Amino acid sequence: MHISDGVLPVSITIGTFAATIALTAVGVRKTKAESLPKVAVVTSAFFVASLIHLPLGPTSVHLSLPGLVGVLLGPSAYISIVLGLALQSLLFQFGGITALGANSIMMGIPALMVGWLFKQLKGTTLKSHAIAGALCGFLGTILSVGFLAALLYTGGEDFLGVGKIAFVASLPVSIIEAIIANFTVIFLFKVKPELLK
Amino acid sequence: MAIVAIIIRRLLKAARDRKAGHHHRHEHDWSVPVIDACSDLDSVFHKWDPRLKIFSILVYCFLVAALTKIIWAFCALIISLAAVKLAKIPFRNTKRRLMAMFGFLGMFLVIMPLTVPTQPGDLLLFFQPIPVPFNVRGLLVAIRIILKAFAIALIMEPLLNTAPLPVTIQALRHLRVPDMICQMILLSHRYIFVFLNEANRMYTGMRVRGFRQKTNLATLHTMGNFLGMLFVSSFNRTQRVYEAMLSRGYNGTFPVYTDFFARPKDWLFGIAWILLGTGLLLLDRTGAFIIW
Repeated sequence: MHISDGVLPVSITIGTFAATIALTAVGVRKTKAESLPKVAVVTSAFFVASLIHLPLGPTSVHLSLPGLVGVLLGPSAYISIVLGLALQSLLFQFGGITALGANSIMMGIPALMVGWLFKQLKGTTLKSHAIAGALCGFLGTILSVGFLAALLYTGGEDFLGVGKIAFVASLPVSIIEAIIANFTVIFLFKVKPELLK
Repeated sequence: MAIVAIIIRRLLKAARDRKAGHHHRHEHDWSVPVIDACSDLDSVFHKWDPRLKIFSILVYCFLVAALTKIIWAFCALIISLAAVKLAKIPFRNTKRRLMAMFGFLGMFLVIMPLTVPTQPGDLLLFFQPIPVPFNVRGLLVAIRIILKAFAIALIMEPLLNTAPLPVTIQALRHLRVPDMICQMILLSHRYIFVFLNEANRMYTGMRVRGFRQKTNLATLHTMGNFLGMLFVSSFNRTQRVYEAMLSRGYNGTFPVYTDFFARPKDWLFGIAWILLGTGLLLLDRTGAFIIW
Protein backbone atom coordinates (compact mmCIF):
# COMPACT_ATOMS: atom_id res chain seq x y z
CA MET A 1 0.00 0.00 0.00
CA HIS A 2 1.46 3.29 -1.05
CA ILE A 3 0.34 6.67 0.23
CA SER A 4 -1.16 9.07 -2.32
CA ASP A 5 -0.59 12.77 -2.65
CA GLY A 6 -2.60 15.07 -0.49
CA VAL A 7 -2.91 12.79 2.53
CA LEU A 8 -0.01 13.84 4.68
CA PRO A 9 0.51 17.25 6.27
CA VAL A 10 3.19 19.54 4.89
CA SER A 11 5.61 19.10 7.77
CA ILE A 12 5.62 15.34 7.39
CA THR A 13 6.01 15.57 3.61
CA ILE A 14 9.05 17.81 3.92
CA GLY A 15 10.49 15.91 6.88
CA THR A 16 10.27 12.51 5.20
CA PHE A 17 11.76 13.91 2.02
CA ALA A 18 14.70 15.32 3.96
CA ALA A 19 15.20 11.98 5.70
CA THR A 20 14.98 10.14 2.38
CA ILE A 21 17.58 12.40 0.79
CA ALA A 22 19.89 11.84 3.75
CA LEU A 23 19.47 8.08 3.75
CA THR A 24 19.89 7.94 -0.04
CA ALA A 25 23.11 9.92 0.19
CA VAL A 26 24.41 7.46 2.78
CA GLY A 27 23.35 4.57 0.55
CA VAL A 28 25.06 6.08 -2.49
CA ARG A 29 28.29 6.39 -0.58
CA LYS A 30 28.06 2.82 0.64
CA THR A 31 27.29 1.30 -2.77
CA LYS A 32 30.30 0.31 -4.81
CA ALA A 33 30.22 0.86 -8.55
CA GLU A 34 30.50 -2.87 -9.28
CA SER A 35 27.28 -3.60 -7.43
CA LEU A 36 25.37 -1.11 -9.55
CA PRO A 37 24.04 -3.89 -11.81
CA LYS A 38 22.81 -5.87 -8.82
CA VAL A 39 21.02 -2.86 -7.36
CA ALA A 40 19.47 -2.06 -10.74
CA VAL A 41 18.35 -5.68 -11.11
CA VAL A 42 16.74 -5.79 -7.70
CA THR A 43 15.07 -2.42 -8.30
CA SER A 44 13.54 -3.58 -11.54
CA ALA A 45 12.58 -6.92 -10.06
CA PHE A 46 10.97 -5.10 -7.09
CA PHE A 47 9.00 -3.13 -9.63
CA VAL A 48 8.03 -6.11 -11.76
CA ALA A 49 7.17 -8.22 -8.73
CA SER A 50 4.60 -5.69 -7.63
CA LEU A 51 2.72 -6.43 -10.83
CA ILE A 52 2.48 -10.14 -10.06
CA HIS A 53 -0.77 -11.10 -8.42
CA LEU A 54 -1.21 -14.05 -6.16
CA PRO A 55 -4.62 -15.53 -5.47
CA LEU A 56 -5.96 -15.18 -1.96
CA GLY A 57 -9.34 -16.81 -1.83
CA PRO A 58 -11.82 -14.83 -3.91
CA THR A 59 -9.51 -11.94 -4.58
CA SER A 60 -5.86 -11.45 -5.37
CA VAL A 61 -3.07 -9.52 -3.75
CA HIS A 62 0.07 -8.08 -5.17
CA LEU A 63 3.34 -8.31 -3.31
CA SER A 64 5.50 -5.41 -2.33
CA LEU A 65 8.58 -7.37 -1.15
CA PRO A 66 10.43 -4.83 0.97
CA GLY A 67 11.77 -7.73 3.02
CA LEU A 68 13.30 -9.48 0.03
CA VAL A 69 14.94 -6.27 -1.18
CA GLY A 70 16.54 -5.84 2.23
CA VAL A 71 17.72 -9.44 2.26
CA LEU A 72 19.35 -9.17 -1.15
CA LEU A 73 20.93 -5.75 -0.95
CA GLY A 74 21.66 -4.99 2.68
CA PRO A 75 22.78 -1.38 3.08
CA SER A 76 22.03 -0.44 -0.54
CA ALA A 77 18.43 -1.46 -0.09
CA TYR A 78 17.25 2.09 0.57
CA ILE A 79 18.33 3.39 -2.85
CA SER A 80 16.65 0.47 -4.54
CA ILE A 81 13.41 1.08 -2.69
CA VAL A 82 13.44 4.81 -3.41
CA LEU A 83 14.02 4.22 -7.11
CA GLY A 84 11.54 1.37 -7.33
CA LEU A 85 8.88 3.49 -5.66
CA ALA A 86 9.74 6.48 -7.85
CA LEU A 87 9.31 4.36 -10.96
CA GLN A 88 6.07 2.91 -9.65
CA SER A 89 4.80 6.39 -8.94
CA LEU A 90 5.84 7.86 -12.26
CA LEU A 91 4.79 4.94 -14.43
CA PHE A 92 1.73 3.66 -12.65
CA GLN A 93 0.76 6.34 -10.16
CA PHE A 94 1.15 3.85 -7.31
CA GLY A 95 1.66 6.38 -4.57
CA GLY A 96 1.97 10.07 -5.13
CA ILE A 97 5.15 11.85 -6.09
CA THR A 98 4.88 14.23 -3.16
CA ALA A 99 4.52 11.21 -0.91
CA LEU A 100 7.70 9.61 -2.27
CA GLY A 101 9.65 10.56 0.83
CA ALA A 102 7.05 9.06 3.12
CA ASN A 103 6.63 5.91 1.04
CA SER A 104 10.40 5.43 0.93
CA ILE A 105 10.63 5.72 4.69
CA MET A 106 7.69 3.36 5.05
CA MET A 107 9.30 0.63 2.96
CA GLY A 108 12.97 1.53 3.06
CA ILE A 109 13.60 1.53 6.77
CA PRO A 110 12.04 -1.92 7.26
CA ALA A 111 14.16 -3.09 4.31
CA LEU A 112 17.33 -1.82 5.97
CA MET A 113 16.36 -3.31 9.33
CA VAL A 114 15.46 -6.63 7.79
CA GLY A 115 18.70 -6.65 5.77
CA TRP A 116 20.71 -6.26 8.93
CA LEU A 117 18.65 -8.94 10.65
CA PHE A 118 19.18 -11.37 7.81
CA LYS A 119 22.92 -10.89 8.00
CA GLN A 120 22.84 -11.74 11.69
CA LEU A 121 20.57 -14.75 11.38
CA LYS A 122 21.48 -16.37 8.12
CA GLY A 123 24.10 -18.78 9.32
CA THR A 124 25.48 -21.22 6.80
CA THR A 125 22.90 -23.96 6.33
CA LEU A 126 19.92 -24.03 4.03
CA LYS A 127 17.55 -24.31 6.95
CA SER A 128 18.87 -21.25 8.77
CA HIS A 129 18.76 -19.25 5.57
CA ALA A 130 15.20 -20.35 4.94
CA ILE A 131 13.99 -19.49 8.42
CA ALA A 132 15.80 -16.16 8.36
CA GLY A 133 14.29 -15.43 4.96
CA ALA A 134 10.77 -16.21 6.11
CA LEU A 135 11.15 -14.09 9.23
CA CYS A 136 12.57 -11.19 7.26
CA GLY A 137 9.83 -11.42 4.65
CA PHE A 138 7.19 -11.28 7.35
CA LEU A 139 8.81 -8.49 9.33
CA GLY A 140 9.50 -6.44 6.24
CA THR A 141 5.85 -6.22 5.33
CA ILE A 142 4.46 -5.93 8.85
CA LEU A 143 6.88 -3.16 9.76
CA SER A 144 6.10 -1.22 6.63
CA VAL A 145 2.40 -1.36 7.33
CA GLY A 146 3.19 -0.24 10.86
CA PHE A 147 5.04 2.76 9.44
CA LEU A 148 2.10 3.34 7.09
CA ALA A 149 -0.32 3.50 9.99
CA ALA A 150 2.00 5.82 11.92
CA LEU A 151 2.43 8.13 8.94
CA LEU A 152 -1.31 8.21 8.33
CA TYR A 153 -1.84 9.05 11.99
CA THR A 154 0.32 12.15 11.63
CA GLY A 155 -2.42 13.42 9.36
CA GLY A 156 -4.73 13.59 12.33
CA GLU A 157 -6.77 11.09 14.24
CA ASP A 158 -9.26 11.01 11.38
CA PHE A 159 -6.92 8.56 9.70
CA LEU A 160 -6.61 6.19 12.60
CA GLY A 161 -9.46 4.01 11.36
CA VAL A 162 -7.90 3.60 7.93
CA GLY A 163 -4.56 2.78 9.50
CA LYS A 164 -6.03 0.11 11.75
CA ILE A 165 -7.95 -1.52 8.91
CA ALA A 166 -4.85 -1.45 6.68
CA PHE A 167 -2.87 -3.13 9.45
CA VAL A 168 -5.38 -5.90 9.93
CA ALA A 169 -5.77 -6.41 6.19
CA SER A 170 -2.03 -6.71 5.79
CA LEU A 171 -1.66 -9.72 8.05
CA PRO A 172 -2.54 -12.30 5.39
CA VAL A 173 -0.33 -10.48 2.90
CA SER A 174 2.58 -10.55 5.35
CA ILE A 175 2.21 -14.28 5.81
CA ILE A 176 2.16 -14.79 2.06
CA GLU A 177 5.22 -12.61 1.67
CA ALA A 178 6.99 -14.57 4.39
CA ILE A 179 6.29 -17.83 2.58
CA ILE A 180 7.33 -16.42 -0.78
CA ALA A 181 10.53 -14.98 0.71
CA ASN A 182 11.21 -18.33 2.29
CA PHE A 183 10.91 -20.20 -1.00
CA THR A 184 12.84 -17.58 -2.92
CA VAL A 185 15.72 -17.65 -0.44
CA ILE A 186 15.80 -21.45 -0.61
CA PHE A 187 15.90 -21.27 -4.41
CA LEU A 188 18.67 -18.66 -4.42
CA PHE A 189 20.68 -20.63 -1.86
CA LYS A 190 20.56 -23.68 -4.07
CA VAL A 191 21.09 -21.97 -7.42
CA LYS A 192 23.16 -18.84 -6.86
CA PRO A 193 24.30 -18.35 -3.26
CA GLU A 194 26.47 -15.35 -4.19
CA LEU A 195 23.31 -13.28 -4.44
CA LEU A 196 22.71 -13.81 -0.74
CA LYS A 197 26.15 -12.67 0.42
CA MET B 1 -18.88 -3.86 2.39
CA ALA B 2 -16.20 -3.33 -0.24
CA ILE B 3 -14.89 -6.85 0.34
CA VAL B 4 -18.37 -8.31 -0.24
CA ALA B 5 -18.63 -6.30 -3.46
CA ILE B 6 -15.25 -7.53 -4.60
CA ILE B 7 -16.12 -11.14 -3.82
CA ILE B 8 -19.44 -10.96 -5.64
CA ARG B 9 -17.84 -9.30 -8.64
CA ARG B 10 -15.11 -11.93 -8.78
CA LEU B 11 -17.56 -14.83 -8.56
CA LEU B 12 -19.75 -13.40 -11.29
CA LYS B 13 -16.76 -12.89 -13.54
CA ALA B 14 -15.52 -16.43 -12.91
CA ALA B 15 -18.95 -17.86 -13.65
CA ARG B 16 -19.23 -15.87 -16.83
CA ASP B 17 -15.75 -16.90 -17.96
CA ARG B 18 -16.35 -20.54 -17.29
CA LYS B 19 -19.58 -20.49 -19.25
CA ALA B 20 -18.00 -18.78 -22.24
CA GLY B 21 -15.02 -21.10 -22.15
CA HIS B 22 -12.48 -18.29 -21.63
CA HIS B 23 -10.48 -19.53 -18.72
CA HIS B 24 -8.66 -16.59 -17.17
CA ARG B 25 -7.83 -14.98 -20.45
CA HIS B 26 -6.83 -11.79 -18.70
CA GLU B 27 -5.26 -13.51 -15.75
CA HIS B 28 -1.94 -11.83 -16.08
CA ASP B 29 -1.60 -8.49 -17.73
CA TRP B 30 1.77 -7.13 -16.82
CA SER B 31 1.99 -4.38 -19.39
CA VAL B 32 3.95 -1.30 -18.39
CA PRO B 33 3.18 1.98 -20.10
CA VAL B 34 6.04 3.69 -21.87
CA ILE B 35 6.86 6.81 -19.94
CA ASP B 36 7.71 9.09 -22.86
CA ALA B 37 5.42 7.85 -25.60
CA CYS B 38 4.17 11.33 -26.45
CA SER B 39 7.53 13.04 -26.29
CA ASP B 40 7.64 13.72 -30.01
CA LEU B 41 4.57 15.93 -30.13
CA ASP B 42 4.73 19.68 -30.06
CA SER B 43 3.39 21.98 -27.40
CA VAL B 44 4.39 24.59 -24.87
CA PHE B 45 5.51 21.86 -22.50
CA HIS B 46 7.57 20.10 -25.15
CA LYS B 47 9.48 23.28 -25.91
CA TRP B 48 10.08 24.14 -22.27
CA ASP B 49 13.58 23.73 -20.88
CA PRO B 50 13.34 20.40 -19.00
CA ARG B 51 15.27 21.64 -15.96
CA LEU B 52 12.88 24.51 -15.36
CA LYS B 53 9.94 22.28 -16.18
CA ILE B 54 10.90 19.70 -13.56
CA PHE B 55 11.74 22.24 -10.89
CA SER B 56 8.70 24.47 -11.23
CA ILE B 57 6.16 21.69 -11.70
CA LEU B 58 7.52 19.79 -8.69
CA VAL B 59 7.30 22.94 -6.56
CA TYR B 60 3.74 23.40 -7.83
CA CYS B 61 2.94 19.80 -6.85
CA PHE B 62 4.14 20.32 -3.29
CA LEU B 63 2.14 23.54 -3.02
CA VAL B 64 -0.98 21.76 -4.24
CA ALA B 65 -0.40 18.93 -1.77
CA ALA B 66 -0.59 21.48 1.05
CA LEU B 67 -4.08 22.71 0.19
CA THR B 68 -6.72 22.27 2.85
CA LYS B 69 -9.97 23.43 1.26
CA ILE B 70 -12.00 21.52 -1.29
CA ILE B 71 -12.69 24.46 -3.56
CA TRP B 72 -9.01 25.21 -4.13
CA ALA B 73 -8.21 21.54 -4.62
CA PHE B 74 -10.91 21.54 -7.28
CA CYS B 75 -9.28 24.57 -8.94
CA ALA B 76 -5.96 22.75 -8.92
CA LEU B 77 -7.64 19.81 -10.65
CA ILE B 78 -9.05 22.09 -13.35
CA ILE B 79 -5.60 23.61 -13.85
CA SER B 80 -4.08 20.15 -14.22
CA LEU B 81 -6.70 19.16 -16.77
CA ALA B 82 -5.94 22.34 -18.70
CA ALA B 83 -2.22 21.54 -18.58
CA VAL B 84 -2.83 18.06 -19.94
CA LYS B 85 -4.88 19.53 -22.75
CA LEU B 86 -2.20 22.14 -23.41
CA ALA B 87 0.49 19.47 -23.64
CA LYS B 88 -1.60 17.61 -26.26
CA ILE B 89 -1.45 14.34 -24.36
CA PRO B 90 -4.22 11.89 -25.28
CA PHE B 91 -6.75 11.34 -22.57
CA ARG B 92 -6.23 7.58 -22.33
CA ASN B 93 -2.88 8.11 -20.56
CA THR B 94 -4.47 10.28 -17.93
CA LYS B 95 -7.39 7.90 -17.56
CA ARG B 96 -4.97 5.09 -16.84
CA ARG B 97 -3.28 7.07 -14.11
CA LEU B 98 -6.55 7.98 -12.50
CA MET B 99 -7.81 4.41 -12.58
CA ALA B 100 -4.62 3.14 -10.96
CA MET B 101 -5.18 5.33 -7.93
CA PHE B 102 -8.74 4.29 -7.62
CA GLY B 103 -8.09 1.31 -5.33
CA PHE B 104 -6.28 3.18 -2.57
CA LEU B 105 -8.45 6.28 -2.81
CA GLY B 106 -11.68 4.33 -3.09
CA MET B 107 -10.79 2.75 0.22
CA PHE B 108 -10.57 6.22 1.76
CA LEU B 109 -13.93 7.17 0.33
CA VAL B 110 -15.64 4.22 1.98
CA ILE B 111 -13.69 3.85 5.20
CA MET B 112 -13.15 7.44 6.27
CA PRO B 113 -16.80 8.44 6.66
CA LEU B 114 -17.34 5.33 8.75
CA THR B 115 -14.31 5.58 11.00
CA VAL B 116 -13.49 9.21 11.69
CA PRO B 117 -14.01 10.25 15.31
CA THR B 118 -17.11 12.33 15.70
CA GLN B 119 -16.40 15.98 16.39
CA PRO B 120 -18.92 18.60 17.54
CA GLY B 121 -20.58 20.15 14.52
CA ASP B 122 -20.39 17.04 12.33
CA LEU B 123 -23.29 15.94 10.23
CA LEU B 124 -24.02 12.26 10.78
CA LEU B 125 -26.17 10.16 8.51
CA PHE B 126 -27.65 6.87 9.59
CA PHE B 127 -28.28 4.22 6.97
CA GLN B 128 -30.51 1.48 8.25
CA PRO B 129 -28.56 -1.80 8.03
CA ILE B 130 -25.20 -0.22 8.95
CA PRO B 131 -24.58 0.12 12.71
CA VAL B 132 -21.96 2.85 12.32
CA PRO B 133 -22.95 6.45 11.48
CA PHE B 134 -21.82 7.94 8.18
CA ASN B 135 -19.86 11.08 8.94
CA VAL B 136 -20.21 13.69 6.22
CA ARG B 137 -17.08 15.49 7.42
CA GLY B 138 -15.18 12.25 6.80
CA LEU B 139 -16.59 12.15 3.29
CA LEU B 140 -15.44 15.73 2.68
CA VAL B 141 -11.94 14.89 3.91
CA ALA B 142 -11.83 11.92 1.56
CA ILE B 143 -13.06 14.05 -1.37
CA ARG B 144 -10.43 16.68 -0.66
CA ILE B 145 -7.70 14.02 -0.71
CA ILE B 146 -9.02 12.55 -3.95
CA LEU B 147 -9.12 15.96 -5.65
CA LYS B 148 -5.55 16.74 -4.63
CA ALA B 149 -4.28 13.31 -5.62
CA PHE B 150 -5.95 13.56 -9.02
CA ALA B 151 -4.62 17.08 -9.59
CA ILE B 152 -1.04 16.03 -8.90
CA ALA B 153 -1.34 12.75 -10.81
CA LEU B 154 -2.65 14.53 -13.89
CA ILE B 155 0.18 17.01 -13.91
CA MET B 156 2.70 14.17 -13.96
CA GLU B 157 1.81 13.53 -17.58
CA PRO B 158 2.84 16.96 -18.93
CA LEU B 159 5.91 16.70 -16.74
CA LEU B 160 7.22 13.35 -17.93
CA ASN B 161 5.59 12.67 -21.25
CA THR B 162 6.81 15.77 -23.05
CA ALA B 163 10.50 14.94 -23.36
CA PRO B 164 12.38 11.68 -24.02
CA LEU B 165 13.36 9.94 -20.81
CA PRO B 166 17.14 10.33 -21.28
CA VAL B 167 16.65 14.08 -21.70
CA THR B 168 14.60 14.23 -18.52
CA ILE B 169 17.30 12.30 -16.65
CA GLN B 170 19.94 14.69 -18.00
CA ALA B 171 17.88 17.58 -16.66
CA LEU B 172 17.86 15.84 -13.28
CA ARG B 173 21.62 15.63 -13.43
CA HIS B 174 21.83 19.34 -14.08
CA LEU B 175 19.62 19.83 -11.05
CA ARG B 176 22.35 18.20 -8.95
CA VAL B 177 20.87 14.71 -8.55
CA PRO B 178 23.85 12.35 -8.01
CA ASP B 179 25.17 10.61 -11.09
CA MET B 180 24.71 7.13 -9.66
CA ILE B 181 21.01 7.75 -9.08
CA CYS B 182 20.49 8.99 -12.63
CA GLN B 183 22.25 5.99 -14.10
CA MET B 184 20.29 3.63 -11.94
CA ILE B 185 17.02 5.21 -13.02
CA LEU B 186 17.97 4.73 -16.66
CA LEU B 187 19.19 1.18 -16.16
CA SER B 188 16.28 0.15 -13.98
CA HIS B 189 13.76 1.64 -16.37
CA ARG B 190 15.32 -0.23 -19.25
CA TYR B 191 15.55 -3.47 -17.29
CA ILE B 192 11.91 -3.32 -16.29
CA PHE B 193 10.92 -4.14 -19.84
CA VAL B 194 13.62 -6.78 -20.15
CA PHE B 195 12.44 -8.51 -16.99
CA LEU B 196 8.81 -8.22 -17.91
CA ASN B 197 9.65 -10.03 -21.11
CA GLU B 198 11.53 -12.67 -19.16
CA ALA B 199 8.75 -13.00 -16.61
CA ASN B 200 6.12 -13.35 -19.31
CA ARG B 201 8.19 -15.98 -21.07
CA MET B 202 8.71 -18.00 -17.91
CA TYR B 203 5.13 -17.65 -16.79
CA THR B 204 3.82 -18.79 -20.17
CA GLY B 205 6.16 -21.75 -19.91
CA MET B 206 4.71 -22.53 -16.51
CA ARG B 207 1.14 -22.30 -17.72
CA VAL B 208 1.84 -24.43 -20.75
CA ARG B 209 3.12 -27.09 -18.38
CA GLY B 210 -0.15 -27.02 -16.48
CA PHE B 211 0.45 -24.51 -13.67
CA ARG B 212 -2.63 -22.66 -12.54
CA GLN B 213 -2.68 -20.24 -9.66
CA LYS B 214 -4.73 -21.47 -6.74
CA THR B 215 -4.80 -20.58 -3.09
CA ASN B 216 -2.45 -23.26 -1.80
CA LEU B 217 1.11 -23.75 -0.68
CA ALA B 218 2.18 -25.34 -3.97
CA THR B 219 1.28 -22.13 -5.81
CA LEU B 220 3.36 -20.10 -3.38
CA HIS B 221 6.25 -22.54 -3.71
CA THR B 222 6.13 -22.23 -7.48
CA MET B 223 5.83 -18.46 -7.40
CA GLY B 224 8.73 -18.26 -4.97
CA ASN B 225 10.86 -20.30 -7.34
CA PHE B 226 9.61 -18.18 -10.23
CA LEU B 227 10.71 -15.04 -8.44
CA GLY B 228 14.07 -16.58 -7.60
CA MET B 229 14.61 -17.67 -11.20
CA LEU B 230 13.68 -14.16 -12.35
CA PHE B 231 16.35 -12.73 -10.08
CA VAL B 232 18.97 -15.25 -11.17
CA SER B 233 18.50 -14.92 -14.92
CA SER B 234 18.15 -11.14 -14.70
CA PHE B 235 21.27 -10.92 -12.62
CA ASN B 236 23.24 -13.11 -15.02
CA ARG B 237 22.11 -10.99 -17.93
CA THR B 238 22.98 -7.77 -16.18
CA GLN B 239 26.40 -9.11 -15.22
CA ARG B 240 27.12 -9.95 -18.85
CA VAL B 241 25.98 -6.53 -20.02
CA TYR B 242 28.03 -4.83 -17.33
CA GLU B 243 31.16 -6.78 -18.23
CA ALA B 244 30.59 -5.96 -21.89
CA MET B 245 30.31 -2.29 -20.97
CA LEU B 246 33.51 -2.47 -18.93
CA SER B 247 35.41 -4.13 -21.74
CA ARG B 248 34.31 -1.35 -24.06
CA GLY B 249 35.72 1.29 -21.79
CA TYR B 250 32.87 2.13 -19.40
CA ASN B 251 34.35 4.14 -16.56
CA GLY B 252 31.28 4.85 -14.47
CA THR B 253 29.54 7.58 -16.44
CA PHE B 254 27.83 7.71 -19.78
CA PRO B 255 29.38 10.49 -21.86
CA VAL B 256 26.46 12.66 -22.79
CA TYR B 257 26.80 16.20 -23.97
CA THR B 258 23.37 17.78 -23.79
CA ASP B 259 23.17 21.50 -23.65
CA PHE B 260 20.08 23.03 -22.24
CA PHE B 261 19.14 26.54 -23.23
CA ALA B 262 16.86 28.41 -20.87
CA ARG B 263 15.14 31.18 -22.80
CA PRO B 264 13.43 34.04 -20.93
CA LYS B 265 10.11 32.48 -21.98
CA ASP B 266 11.06 29.32 -20.08
CA TRP B 267 11.87 31.24 -16.92
CA LEU B 268 8.57 33.14 -17.16
CA PHE B 269 6.56 29.97 -17.59
CA GLY B 270 8.33 28.42 -14.62
CA ILE B 271 7.72 31.44 -12.42
CA ALA B 272 4.09 31.47 -13.57
CA TRP B 273 3.57 27.90 -12.32
CA ILE B 274 5.18 28.65 -8.97
CA LEU B 275 3.08 31.79 -8.58
CA LEU B 276 -0.02 29.83 -9.50
CA GLY B 277 0.67 27.30 -6.78
CA THR B 278 1.54 29.97 -4.23
CA GLY B 279 -1.61 31.88 -5.12
CA LEU B 280 -3.77 28.81 -4.58
CA LEU B 281 -2.09 28.14 -1.26
CA LEU B 282 -2.54 31.74 -0.10
CA LEU B 283 -6.21 31.75 -1.06
CA ASP B 284 -6.49 28.44 0.76
CA ARG B 285 -4.80 29.49 3.97
CA THR B 286 -6.25 32.98 4.30
CA GLY B 287 -9.76 31.65 4.05
CA ALA B 288 -11.10 33.67 1.16
CA PHE B 289 -14.38 32.49 -0.44
CA ILE B 290 -14.90 29.30 1.47
CA ILE B 291 -17.22 27.06 3.29
CA TRP B 292 -15.22 23.88 3.27
